[in-house]
Amino acid sequence: MAYRARLKEFDDVLDQEVIDLKKLKSLSFHGIPDDQGRRALCWRLLLNYLPTDKSQWPLFLQEKRQLYKQFIDEMVVMPGSQEGNGDVTEGDHPLSINPDSQWQTFFKDNEVLLQIDKDVRRLCPDISFFQQPTEFPCQEIVNSNDVKRLHTRVQRSVLKCANVERKGLGITKIALSIKKANEDYAPMTEGKEAHWEVVERILFLYAKLNPGQGYVQGMNEIIGPIYHAFACDPDITFREHAECDSFFCFTNLMSEIRDFFIKSLDETDHGINKMMSRMLVQLKNSDLDVWLKFQQLELKPQFYSFRWITLLLSQEFPLPDVLRIWDTLFSDESRFDFLIYVCCAMIVILRNKLLNGDFPSNLKLLQNFPPMDVQIILSKAVELSKQKN
Amino acid sequence: MAKKTYDLLFKLLLIGDSGVGKTCILFRFSDDAFTTTFISTIGIDFKIKTVELRGKKIKLQIWDTAGQERFHTITTSYYRGAMGIMLVYDITNEKSFENIVKWLRNIDEHANEDVEKMILGNKCDMSDKRTVSKERGETIAREHGIRFMETSAKANINIDKAFNDLAEAILDKTAGREPGDHVDRVLVDRKQQSNTSRSCCNN
Ligand SMILES: Nc1nc2c(ncn2[C@@H]2O[C@H](COP(=O)(O)OP(=O)(O)OP(=O)(O)O)[C@@H](O)[C@H]2O)c(=O)[nH]1
Ligand SMILES: [Mg+2]
Repeated sequence: MAYRARLKEFDDVLDQEVIDLKKLKSLSFHGIPDDQGRRALCWRLLLNYLPTDKSQWPLFLQEKRQLYKQFIDEMVVMPGSQEGNGDVTEGDHPLSINPDSQWQTFFKDNEVLLQIDKDVRRLCPDISFFQQPTEFPCQEIVNSNDVKRLHTRVQRSVLKCANVERKGLGITKIALSIKKANEDYAPMTEGKEAHWEVVERILFLYAKLNPGQGYVQGMNEIIGPIYHAFACDPDITFREHAECDSFFCFTNLMSEIRDFFIKSLDETDHGINKMMSRMLVQLKNSDLDVWLKFQQLELKPQFYSFRWITLLLSQEFPLPDVLRIWDTLFSDESRFDFLIYVCCAMIVILRNKLLNGDFPSNLKLLQNFPPMDVQIILSKAVELSKQKN
Repeated sequence: MAKKTYDLLFKLLLIGDSGVGKTCILFRFSDDAFTTTFISTIGIDFKIKTVELRGKKIKLQIWDTAGQERFHTITTSYYRGAMGIMLVYDITNEKSFENIVKWLRNIDEHANEDVEKMILGNKCDMSDKRTVSKERGETIAREHGIRFMETSAKANINIDKAFNDLAEAILDKTAGREPGDHVDRVLVDRKQQSNTSRSCCNN
């Protein structure tokens, strides 16, 4: 059977003492089988997290997981418990201008948290996964009387500091949005933790460790599929560490696509504007008629492909399709060039409708991509990538 | 010749901090529904709704922008073509209200001078969590000579009214002009118009 044969091909590559990454990429490019956590394992390799030499795995993973635990202790558990004891203010008045003031950090953290909190609650609303409790909650946090939970920290601090106002020092009055109009996300009981809370922690740690970049909306849509794939791994020894492993894979992936998220880099070689104009050039080569039509309608790539590219298409398709597309994107020998072909393929596939549509109907179509077998899109993309221009 | 399905086309824009409810407001208006589960807007979104005002069919082309700072360069590029802009804040979020001034400055810098503006204080269904009084909203609107309204996308308060009032204000402006003049201003552009009708004939 073809499927069996494919599984075997993967296993042959993955069973080697030293994994041949090139081979793995050429296999994964056509999709990784969902079975037995192969996708999660392959992504760990494709995203340069796991070393190719398997003998290094035990020590490597142990180190990473220790390091991650340390991050949590330092940046979530400790601040949480200090605050819980009420000694954030100890010897450190809220109006202190000392830049190292714990209050400063505390305020900054909470601004970041407010934004993350809003977004993780809005993550993948069409599936219930992220609202479900995880099997592996962070024990120090979930058994803390809510004190150390990040999202309660946002709410509590807002209440506590409501009358702290300081202007002209980079800190304005803290946002007072106590409410979290999200009845669907009922808080978990003591000892339990929902997947979205885990994702919130990952993003918060990432923002703390990458202060130049912080948190930008859309990062939630990048971590979402990775965490989902890892947290659904049937192999418990891996699933147990889904949080840690997806954190590091996310960090690696972000190092490659970071520029999409930074405004000041829009115009640089790896910035989003450059990617969009490359896509447009490719469209011109692949389908001149559509390109002309877009010119004529003044339908600019920013209107639709900004989101496509920034989020690696994660908002355009249902999650299972996103996972399949990412198999291919992660297997690209020069990441993320193939993404450009995929974007073009999406347009070319709709060419008949687009050529007959006006500005609003075309934009609507592109912003709400019609459901279809993603295999068709990916095959088209391969075809476009092989065309001689 | 295919019949045009509308008399006028107005381009509107929704701006304001992330999370104030822009997408929900637009969804309430276009689909008459509310869901708490919207993903954050990345870049820009787009919806269309036709309304009838004074016997005229008016097609509203509404752009919904992302609130976060990172997206400002892309979103401000849409200000130019807008004929009406809705500035939204959240009555339970002080900061989003303070930022209205910043959004107004953005409009001054990037939009047409005669763009119609309106300030919306959204989430007025959450009176227990309110931190911005209605008076403060009214005051800032008066100071800038802008229309103001409190809305709720959730409870469907003032949503239709907000869009209708804004459209009406634009209509007032355009109606005062010479007929030949306003065609140019109101319709997106001629090429696009003729194109639409041509493709209709082909079908
Ligand atoms: N109670 C209440 N909640 C609302 C209302 N409008 C929006 N919300 C909630 O506010 C949150 C944010 O709404 P969105 O419409 O996504 O916010 P936005 O302004 O589009 O945010 P960005 O896309 O990030 O710029 C959602 O969780 C909504 O459920 C309202 O009228 N009442
Ligand atoms: Mg939105």
